Amino acid sequence: MEIFFQQLVNGLTIGSIYALVALGYTMVYGVLKLINFAHGDLVALSAYIGLVTVMQLMGALSPVLLIIATFIITMILTSLGGLILERAAYRPLRKAPRLSAVVSALGASMIIENGIMLIWGPMPRIFPASAVPNANYNIHGVYISLMQVLVLVISFILMVALYLFVNRTKLGTAMRACAIDQDAARLMGIDVNKVIVTTFIIGSALGAVGGLFIGMYYRGIYFNMGWIYGLNAFVAAIIGGIGNIPGAMLGGMLLGIFNAFIAGYVSSSWSLALTYVLLIVIMILRPTGILGERVAEKV
Amino acid sequence: MNTKNIVYYGIFLFSLIILPFFLNSDWVSVMTTFIIYSIVSLSQDIVLGRAGMFDMGHAIFFGLGAYSTAILNMVYGWPILATIPIAIILPIVASIILAAPIIHLRGDYLLVTTIGFNIVFTQALKNNVFGITGGPNGIFGVEPLKILGFVFSSQLSIYYLAFFILLLTLIVIHNLETSKPGRALHYLNLDSLASECIGINTRFYRLYSFALSAALAGLAGVVFTLQFSAVSPGAFNFIQSVLFFTIVLVGGPSSIPGVLLGTFFMFVVPEIFRQFAEARYLVFGVAMILIMIWRPKGIWPVKFGRIPNYLTKE
Repeated sequence: MEIFFQQLVNGLTIGSIYALVALGYTMVYGVLKLINFAHGDLVALSAYIGLVTVMQLMGALSPVLLIIATFIITMILTSLGGLILERAAYRPLRKAPRLSAVVSALGASMIIENGIMLIWGPMPRIFPASAVPNANYNIHGVYISLMQVLVLVISFILMVALYLFVNRTKLGTAMRACAIDQDAARLMGIDVNKVIVTTFIIGSALGAVGGLFIGMYYRGIYFNMGWIYGLNAFVAAIIGGIGNIPGAMLGGMLLGIFNAFIAGYVSSSWSLALTYVLLIVIMILRPTGILGERVAEKV
Repeated sequence: MNTKNIVYYGIFLFSLIILPFFLNSDWVSVMTTFIIYSIVSLSQDIVLGRAGMFDMGHAIFFGLGAYSTAILNMVYGWPILATIPIAIILPIVASIILAAPIIHLRGDYLLVTTIGFNIVFTQALKNNVFGITGGPNGIFGVEPLKILGFVFSSQLSIYYLAFFILLLTLIVIHNLETSKPGRALHYLNLDSLASECIGINTRFYRLYSFALSAALAGLAGVVFTLQFSAVSPGAFNFIQSVLFFTIVLVGGPSSIPGVLLGTFFMFVVPEIFRQFAEARYLVFGVAMILIMIWRPKGIWPVKFGRIPNYLTKE
């Protein structure tokens, strides 16, 4: 039973990270109907930005301030990256065939990935261990580290904030309107460009938090990690129902817990394959994801 | 096919025939791989460009062909010639079994599911499933092909073998274009609902396109195994599928010269700039974005019949 709860805690931690990254995919898909393949690499970039910031500021600030400063700087810089991405690679293709935008996204992903490699080199980099104090709490035999608490709490706060933003504010309502019908939203006086830019900023900022967590939790970061974390997060978004914000959170959590149990009970060499078996099964049984709505074909 | 096209294809094929005499052996090997990748891209184009299904797992069928030749030869001791039919039939069967339950999915969902298939496939190869795939290192030391006493062991002979298969592929695709299944695929790509209303069995033709492209990719896989006399999971992973997917879209969907040009651009051009080792893929990403911005329908888009311009403009 202790193994069960231990894996549950680990799964929830990984799941929160997946959920944060998945939100970036799902929000962009909701508004633009585009799979933003470069999002995973943006997450990898954010981990590197975070690493540089921690190295620069370490010693100059107290630990709490250091973490706060790192998060804020990384979120701002990554959002800037998302903004440039949208402006340079996606906006010129908004009227083009859908697949052209996919190729453009793949091109952007290649640029970021190889850019990281050129700047920081092909070898893995290690996050300094002292960035977050290594404290463990023992709750009835289940170990939970300070980092895990941090991941769970910050993710929860960010997700609640996002939920409130999307459902309670004017800009959030505009975002939902654009997701349903862009032309109609434009006719209602919504500035669609502003909404899309906002989507990219929020998505990239959440991805940046995810990337920082990956760096601080797993410690090792490498230039092409965007692919694998991005794909897993993307699978999470699909499982929850792509374009659906609570779906991405749910999908991320489910995927994290599933991964942790596979690694704990079955075997870690098959965990990636089983993740995708789960995806395929869900696609066959419920093609629009768990919370996705079935769209009737219009004639 | 009109006279102009015959002349163009004649020049293209003739230059491929005489090309090895002007190149050193390294470049002949690059060109052989170029031809193999062209065959796979042309087969990917049947599903992606002609039938309009977002298949991002095409490396599975390429890999199945390559691995079945390697396994049958190395583990069971079959001669290479005898493995070729299996390397074609196995991908066909696999494509039908894999595609049948997901064929009705809408665009992006199909794309994600095929990515899933590809990752499961590569993981199975890496984990040495059934103890015959050789694990992460793959299988090496595959025998050369022997036909009537002639051994295809030199680089040049494999080049011409690949060339022959490319020719075969071009004939198959040309026949497809001018036959009933090809027209059916064209209609269901343009409007699947309308094509169903005029009596096209869309499900059957979608599976048909998967099976046909899997067969061609499997055959290309055989040549791939013969060229490197080795197979490894890395050659058939999801990134390779992305490459084939991109080749078709950069070149121009359902356009044969487009796909060939796309393969050249995505595969041979990086080889030419090998001395810039690391920076080249960065430039490459920029080029992909720019091509899509300037030519959203590919470098060499396809033209269908004599439709007046004012009708095709959106």
